[in-house]
Amino acid sequence: MSSTSGAHLSREFFDLIKAIGESRSKQEEDRIIAREVLTLKNKLHPWKKQTTAPSATAGAAQTNQNQHFSTKKKQKEFLVRLLYVEMLGHDASFGYVKATELAASPNIFHKRVGYLVCGACLSPEHEFRFMLVNQMQRDLNSSNVLENCAALLAVTRVITADMVPAVCGDVTKLLTHSNETVRKKAVIALHRLFQLNPEAIPAHEFVEKLRRALCDRDPAVMGASLCVIESMATHDPSPFKDLVSSLVSILKQIIEHRLPSDFDYHRMPAPWMQMAILRILAILADGDAHASSECYEVISDCLTRADVGANAGYAVVYECIRTITKVYPNPVLLDAAAESISRFIASRSHNLKYLGVTGLASIVEQHPKYAAIHQLAVVECLEDRDETLQRKTLELLYKMTNPVNVEFITDKLLSFLEATTDMFLKRDLTNKIGTIAERYAPNQEWYVRSITKLFEISGELVSPQIAHNLMTMIAEGEEDESEESNMSLRKDAVELYASLLENSTGKNMPKVLADTVSWVLGEYAYLSTEYNLSEILEYLCAFAKRRGPFALSSTRRFLISAIMKLVAQLGTCPSSAASVIDEFSKSSDTDLQQRCLEFQNLLTNASSILGTVLPVDASCEDVDAVESLSELDWFVAEARANGALPYSRPIDEEDDAEYLAGRGRVKSVQINITPYEKPKDPREYKVDLNRNAPRLTPGQGSTYEKARHSPSDSSSSFVATVPEVAPSISEPSLIVRNVAHVWGKPVPPTAPAIAPSFSLGSSQPPPTPTHGGPSSQSGYGGWGEKSSVAQ
Amino acid sequence: MPIAFILMVNKQGQTRLASYYQWMNMVERVALESEIIRKCLSRSELQCSFVEYRGFKVIYRRYASLFFIVGTTPESSTDGSKKVYENTTNELGMLEFIHTMVETMDRWAGSICELDIMYQLEQVHFLLDEMVMNGYIVETNKSNILRPLDLLEREAKKDESLFNR
Repeated sequence: MSSTSGAHLSREFFDLIKAIGESRSKQEEDRIIAREVLTLKNKLHPWKKQTTAPSATAGAAQTNQNQHFSTKKKQKEFLVRLLYVEMLGHDASFGYVKATELAASPNIFHKRVGYLVCGACLSPEHEFRFMLVNQMQRDLNSSNVLENCAALLAVTRVITADMVPAVCGDVTKLLTHSNETVRKKAVIALHRLFQLNPEAIPAHEFVEKLRRALCDRDPAVMGASLCVIESMATHDPSPFKDLVSSLVSILKQIIEHRLPSDFDYHRMPAPWMQMAILRILAILADGDAHASSECYEVISDCLTRADVGANAGYAVVYECIRTITKVYPNPVLLDAAAESISRFIASRSHNLKYLGVTGLASIVEQHPKYAAIHQLAVVECLEDRDETLQRKTLELLYKMTNPVNVEFITDKLLSFLEATTDMFLKRDLTNKIGTIAERYAPNQEWYVRSITKLFEISGELVSPQIAHNLMTMIAEGEEDESEESNMSLRKDAVELYASLLENSTGKNMPKVLADTVSWVLGEYAYLSTEYNLSEILEYLCAFAKRRGPFALSSTRRFLISAIMKLVAQLGTCPSSAASVIDEFSKSSDTDLQQRCLEFQNLLTNASSILGTVLPVDASCEDVDAVESLSELDWFVAEARANGALPYSRPIDEEDDAEYLAGRGRVKSVQINITPYEKPKDPREYKVDLNRNAPRLTPGQGSTYEKARHSPSDSSSSFVATVPEVAPSISEPSLIVRNVAHVWGKPVPPTAPAIAPSFSLGSSQPPPTPTHGGPSSQSGYGGWGEKSSVAQ
Repeated sequence: MPIAFILMVNKQGQTRLASYYQWMNMVERVALESEIIRKCLSRSELQCSFVEYRGFKVIYRRYASLFFIVGTTPESSTDGSKKVYENTTNELGMLEFIHTMVETMDRWAGSICELDIMYQLEQVHFLLDEMVMNGYIVETNKSNILRPLDLLEREAKKDESLFNR
């Protein structure tokens, strides 16, 4: 189609596009679009126009057909302009209705435009999507191939999970259509439906159809099925394991140029299909030696033939490299892959360098020896100004980490972390640093220092588990290390944190860091040789007084504990500490308040036992809880004598089993495998509704009788007893005390005094049967079906 | 691996075509488009054509005044388990796919230019729909792509001339 440069467009549209094209700033563009929106709105509802047109013409416009939409062509153009408006960031929801209308047009072009706008603009919750389902069904079943295609495309964009069952069958039918374009689209559409609602299509059926599509006589359909297989194999490779041989043979045919020549691209036959197959093979043969052995030959072939010197070829080579690293290792292939990687890294093109670095990263995890020769090149890439290349090299470094180079690599990663502002990268790097530090730390001092640095830079992103591990490590130390080295570790930590505190007056500290610092200082401050206890105490107090987003209650609790421990060790309480404790004893956090008040109490009343309460370096000792506390019995006896109630133990449902076991009634926890009894015939089921009779007022009982005596109906469906029968509590009963409504029937204002007593459960003779079968007139269905009741 | 969006944005940051395969509301889209183009513009010719942006792997290529940008995401889990898969997109393969796209448009329009895309927006969308469906690359064979498009246009013309609609 030759470029007509807008001759087919209306003047308005042409001007619009010209204006957009020539606009020089975002504001100008916004103005143009806003004007366009007004124009479009007026087109839609000309009778709402606010101009000075006399009402006669407005009325005329209303009675005639909307002349702006007299031709479908104009409607189509309206929609394209709508698309423009939305594309440039303005809302055009007033026109969505027109889009759904146009999707019903018999002109295939207009239909496609209608579907296009709907698919692009309607949000997933929009109710118009439902309006299209009918139209899509019609188009799916049409005999016109183009309409089928249009509908299949719409299916992938417009359908949501609850609409899947409506179109599922029609799409499945199209899988066997005679036209290959339709089949190709049907494969993808069905996959989309499966993605939205996996229950609507049974998985094994879908896999069956997929396999048939793979063997389709048309390569395009086969190509489409490859995408779907790749997607599904990523989630679960097991249904496709036996496809390895078919895929290998397909790949062979492709690289031997057996496909029609128009599948070639720059002398490479169907490169994207090759890449897809390689990826699928990587997934299926991962960890599977037998499957991998089937692939080796074809991968090697592919690698050799892909070397044509064009980008398409390099892309296939890269995919081969990735596949080689994922399948069961084969030394010949690995060498070949390593050689290709070297060529990539040495290349001058940044894109190829990128591929080389990524390829190296994937190979080096399992086979670190290949990394050695490239060290210089890797460092070069790290220093490169290209940010993407730097990031990829960081990933490579991360994979290359071993106990020898961990310090260097951690330093590099930390420096990058400091420099970046991208949140995704920060989170990624934080996780990476945490992992390698824990895994490869050469010694504990280094670990403490690195983790502290990590906390400082990106503490908010660190998982609290790491902080906890750090504290545990400091407290317990290494088992095989001597006590002195543990102590020196703690001393180092203390010096580090004390200096941190000292220098942190201006900056904010992330929570994990603050917690760790406080705890360590509280426990081990006495070990420090550079700072004395009172100095550290001062720093802690100054820190505690800080306000701001980092002054969390949980951090303050750590601080207060630390301050208390230090005061205990010092023996005296300096004024700064006292003022801090005073301040926090009025805190809104009850935990904090409690600690402060307890501490104040201890200080004033029992300062001698401070040492026992807050012992030095006892964080690892267990605290024995004394259950009986017999020393306090006198207190209890006194209180009881004054009328206090005995302690009633709260019943904790989760501990029921233990509780009952303790009480001698052990619940068995065996699974009951006997089948339940068959439900009894309701006619045999004797129900005594008034079992709780003593609690009922006399009038209540009559409610049922009243219902029983409901007009024209002597066939009561439920029974009542006069409340003389003593209740027997053997089955769970319905407490009907103060029931105002009986299944919808209002309570009678006065209670009738007499009522014949009726009971199925009692020994009185049953009422004469008045009806043959079960009937339910009043609320209680067929309960107490009396006629053929056996007693 | 699946494509999340395909954009054609010019140097001034004006979007000429936007096709999203993953629903994003208007505000997100506008923000995404402007940030990505800014990122691509700040890179020099010699640097990689690949960028990472907010968890998307973005591959871009510049043709005269127009940037072709493709953003990919990893496979997402269907059973709601929120399992995170690795993004296995072959970046160079995607770069070449962009080139195929441009070559196809070239063949269709007889030397494509930015103005062509603007004046025939819906047809460029149709062309793209033939190549990418649900975020997967389904067709790269130019004849297979252009054949249905020709058919479509012929049908449309037939319809128009007969009934003058």
